[in-house]
Amino acid sequence: MLTYTIRRLAFAVPTLLVISFLIFGILDLAPSDPTAQLPLTIPPEVREKIRLSLGLGDPFIVRYFKWLVQFMVNEPLNILEQWTGWTIGDGERLRVLSWQTRSPVVDLIVQRMPQTLWVVGMSYVVGIVIAIPIGVISAYRQYSWFDQFGTLFSMVGFSIPTFFTGLLFIVIFSVTLGWLPSIYDTTLVVEDWDSFVAQVKQMIMPTMVLGLYNASQLSRFMRASVLDNLNQDYVRTARAKGMTEKVVLLIHVLRNSMIPVVTVIALNLPQVFGGAIITEQIFRVNGLGQLLIGAIEGGDIPTVQTLTFIFAVLIVVFNLIADVLYGILDPRIRYD
Amino acid sequence: MRLRNLLSATAAAAALGALAGPALAERGADGQVNIIYWQAVSILNPYLSGGTKDVEGASLVLEPLARYDETGTMVPWLVEEIPTVENGGVSEDLMSITWKLKPGLKWSDGSDVTAADAVFTADYCMDETGGCQQVANYADVASVEAVDDLTIKITFTVPKPVPYGPFVGAQSPILQAAQFADCKGAKAPECTDANFGPIGTGPYVVAEFKPNDVVVYEANPHYREADKPAFGSVLLKGGGDAVSAARSVMETGEFDYAWNMQVEPEILAQMEARGIGKVISAYGTSVERFEVNMTNPDPDLGDLRSTVEGGPHPFLTDPKVTRALSMAIDREILVEAGYGAAGQVTCNVLPAPDLFNSTANDWCKTPDVDGANALLDEAGWVVGSDGVREKDGVKLSLLYQTSTNSVRQGTQALIKQMWQEIGVETELRNISGSVFFGGDPSSPDTFQKLYADVEMFTNNFDGTDPEKYMANWRCSEIPSPKNNWLGGNNPRFCSEEYDALVQTLAGTAKIEERAEIAKQLNDMLMESGAIIPLIHRGRVAAMANTIEGHAMNPWDSELWDIASWSRAK
Amino acid sequence: MSLDAMPPAAGAAPAPAGSGSRALLKVEDLQVLFPIYKGLLRRQVGSVRAVDGLSFEVRKGETLGLVGESGCGKSTTGRAILRLTDITGGRVELDGVDVAALEGGELRRMRRRMQMIFQDPHASLNPRMTVASIIAEPLDEHMALGRKARQARVGELMDAVGLREDFASRYPHEFSGGQRQRIGIARALALDPDFIVCDEPIAALDVSIQAQVVNLLEDLQKKLGLTYLFISHDLSMVRHLASRVAVMYLGKIVELATREQLYASPRHPYTQALLSAVPSPDPAREASRERVILTGDVPSPANPPSGCRFRTRCPVAQPRCAAEVPEFRKLEDGRQVACHFAE
Repeated sequence: MLTYTIRRLAFAVPTLLVISFLIFGILDLAPSDPTAQLPLTIPPEVREKIRLSLGLGDPFIVRYFKWLVQFMVNEPLNILEQWTGWTIGDGERLRVLSWQTRSPVVDLIVQRMPQTLWVVGMSYVVGIVIAIPIGVISAYRQYSWFDQFGTLFSMVGFSIPTFFTGLLFIVIFSVTLGWLPSIYDTTLVVEDWDSFVAQVKQMIMPTMVLGLYNASQLSRFMRASVLDNLNQDYVRTARAKGMTEKVVLLIHVLRNSMIPVVTVIALNLPQVFGGAIITEQIFRVNGLGQLLIGAIEGGDIPTVQTLTFIFAVLIVVFNLIADVLYGILDPRIRYD
Repeated sequence: MRLRNLLSATAAAAALGALAGPALAERGADGQVNIIYWQAVSILNPYLSGGTKDVEGASLVLEPLARYDETGTMVPWLVEEIPTVENGGVSEDLMSITWKLKPGLKWSDGSDVTAADAVFTADYCMDETGGCQQVANYADVASVEAVDDLTIKITFTVPKPVPYGPFVGAQSPILQAAQFADCKGAKAPECTDANFGPIGTGPYVVAEFKPNDVVVYEANPHYREADKPAFGSVLLKGGGDAVSAARSVMETGEFDYAWNMQVEPEILAQMEARGIGKVISAYGTSVERFEVNMTNPDPDLGDLRSTVEGGPHPFLTDPKVTRALSMAIDREILVEAGYGAAGQVTCNVLPAPDLFNSTANDWCKTPDVDGANALLDEAGWVVGSDGVREKDGVKLSLLYQTSTNSVRQGTQALIKQMWQEIGVETELRNISGSVFFGGDPSSPDTFQKLYADVEMFTNNFDGTDPEKYMANWRCSEIPSPKNNWLGGNNPRFCSEEYDALVQTLAGTAKIEERAEIAKQLNDMLMESGAIIPLIHRGRVAAMANTIEGHAMNPWDSELWDIASWSRAK
Repeated sequence: MSLDAMPPAAGAAPAPAGSGSRALLKVEDLQVLFPIYKGLLRRQVGSVRAVDGLSFEVRKGETLGLVGESGCGKSTTGRAILRLTDITGGRVELDGVDVAALEGGELRRMRRRMQMIFQDPHASLNPRMTVASIIAEPLDEHMALGRKARQARVGELMDAVGLREDFASRYPHEFSGGQRQRIGIARALALDPDFIVCDEPIAALDVSIQAQVVNLLEDLQKKLGLTYLFISHDLSMVRHLASRVAVMYLGKIVELATREQLYASPRHPYTQALLSAVPSPDPAREASRERVILTGDVPSPANPPSGCRFRTRCPVAQPRCAAEVPEFRKLEDGRQVACHFAE
């Protein structure tokens, strides 16, 4: 397994380099302009100067290599310095700077990561917690009213876009009932019970909107997987052994059914880091998704490039993790 | 209503004349005010980002020497008085201006504000490698010097009848020299700490800044008026969209003020009906207009497409045609459908200040379909079998482009219908704003290239003087491959008479004469048909009913008077 | 480990089942119907009569072979007896207890006495459990054994089926088909059952392995006094193992006789047809073997033919067969046949 992992990681390096080049190329070809959002009162000559000051005067390949060096060499060295306290070289390294904020992109990402992990990550947890029982019971009582309801739930949850559910939640819980805030307070610091309650309150809507969406997907997966296993001979074996239905379902069926579901979850995890662009935008959660959409709108190519590349890395890594997990969970699979 | 003291001579007082009363207030007594901008603040240095949201976010901290009040009148801010030729502040030859700082001004770190700070600010922005986004405000500046600690003298390379570019308005505030000393030129973007937390003279200091998300401000302990600001802190949240921002003020009450409400009028009216907040608006110089292509956009011309070399437009250079197009448009309907309180009918590209507003073109206010038809008949355009007018084998068929935005697409559909009634066929096109307004010379879809017959967008100018704005339509400003498509004269309008008049304007100092010339320039554009104005657009905001002391200002930062805001008890 | 190396059975193995020994399992009029749902509202429109009125006995210590074509309901019968499938009607008595009427805990307790060996040794073992836990799981459920005792019992069982004890911590996929079936057998034996349903236990194995497993089953029967219901479509294997044989066709038993009777002189036309298809090892007999070729397909159990179910393919069918359901009657020599014309 270790050699397999190492081999896969080694293969990932050229893949990611190609991906980074492709992303850079696509972004460069895409018609976007960092000065497009400026008021028209700023004259064209000034705009041209701004573009030049952002380095847009250099040829494509030069800009690509600058980014590559900044992101692949300078940023890791910086992080290393911060962790260890060493000084490597003269410490004067050019970092990847966002065109919108003129600050290092990596700092922006670090600042936004916690919100994304909390809100989007929690929505995943909520989704899993909802989906697994629904999936198991739906499969166990196939075609019962519960199953029909579960099917309806997931169809509705899957087909209604999050911007609609988000809006619906806001209208119901913020405007009409006034229970929950419609705008996420990103300056809130949890330090006592009251602020904790406030944090929970403001997390409920974004988490549930995404959680229900995730749950509707996962519950279908879970149901299919459990159904698959329920008809297996080993389940009959377990019953023949005289195991209680609880044991049959929870030990035999559930554990085996979780194998594909766990890998699906692992494969979807990069989405957590990608944030949920729409949901974050609706509730104004300052996560990575919001950072990305803002950067796209503002023509902030270094930020878009860095974020998309990090997502690419995460996807590659989580694919590997999913494969390794599969190997760990399913004793039948060995990579050697 | 909360009453406050007034220092009789200050600009703030002038703005708040109506609220004048005996002293009673105390700094920070009203807690926090929550403001929402649906575009989030990215950086708090307006010299590195000219985006409205960034300029206004910084305006709570950084202040100019003088700014514009809600009527467009220039008011002294960090200076005793506005320099003029009369008071000797502006030299007779119009080549220099001398500002005198108020004595005793302090930065929020407690140090003194001096003329050297202003000198530094000018150097900072005029540095060639810094990519300063407000450098247009420093155009024609020869030097900025500190005569003494409180006296700043700006010398120009040409006579400046209106020398109020540098250090006037929210776009051109004073930076603290000490803080930005190491941030000049190419190093400007690297000073993240300074760019995110500038030290200023304004009523607030930055307490916390999360770029593209939120700014938290706290009252500046060294602010020059002891009883202000009434709000101890300001939360400026960003992101999302205009509708939900409006909702947070007028429906849920989570926020007190929302900026730039580009929302369908009926939605705003519905929200307003809840009685928590209200919609406020004010009109500056923004005009939604058609810019009409005077050159030929025929794709067959290849590289000569939409250039002067490619030849004139087959029919839009005929003022009768453009006049008919204008007459056919019912502007009231456009206002009703898309703008509400945010728009009013205009027949001028230069609708404000009042002094500069021409009345010569008011015929456009009443739509006249019959008149338009008659005009086209007269010009020899005959309605063909398909209902489209034609003459000499040329059809009156237009490609109409604009940026993607629901109000604009609604307007497009309405105008297409209106033009159909006079036998003009219209093909609609919309282009993403980031492409349309992005100046990428390789893109065929930018508003400068104008590969279409007409295009619709909004433009305006900073401050109250239209000289630079009107200069946009000189022959030399025509975008073409030679100048890499940079230039503000999108209609490719070219008239020697106009250019000469712009030259005259640059040499005229008296405000009444300037207004007269500006009106003439406006009328020339209107008569030629190069520009068909549609709607005079206002700034619209949503404000909680409990907020007092705010005068909506279209000429400067919307938050220009935040020091005077307070909450009703 | 070969079967020959097994120690001789401790204690006296019960005598081969004679007609006199007591019935351990009694099945009376067993019926298993699977409902068919159709349409938007999933209304029941009919049912598949998978097992339709079976009656037979299995005597203590004997092996009853149950043969038939695939789809005839053999496996369903096996599962129904063990209540691994819901029974629609009838009685299943194991040692006097009506298994069909038991529920919940009582039924689970009965499972100690009746077990099953499955056809597919791969699918019937939980892939995520080690051999030791597969075998030990029923021990934990039904017997309160200490860790050591349990370990010892697992070892003992593995030894009994000819598996090395150090395989205990491995997963099923690491074994060959034959070894896996041994695990399945060890698992079935764990609770010391009296009665085991062997549901085509060798059908999925290589021919070379089949004999080993069959020998193991025989040895275990002798040693432990087990009673088997041996379900198979392989007539020669049944001939080798079973003392009596029941032949099923479309959910019903058509003939039930001792091995000798059945193979020597089948009475039911279906049995005759089946046996005629079995090649004989004796070249002389093989040369004279006359094959009875059945025409047509097996009818759908959802809609079986009226009267005798075999009549649509029967070479000797008469009009009477369509009208009357043949009685499952006892002939003079003790065998039972469901045919109007059997003598």
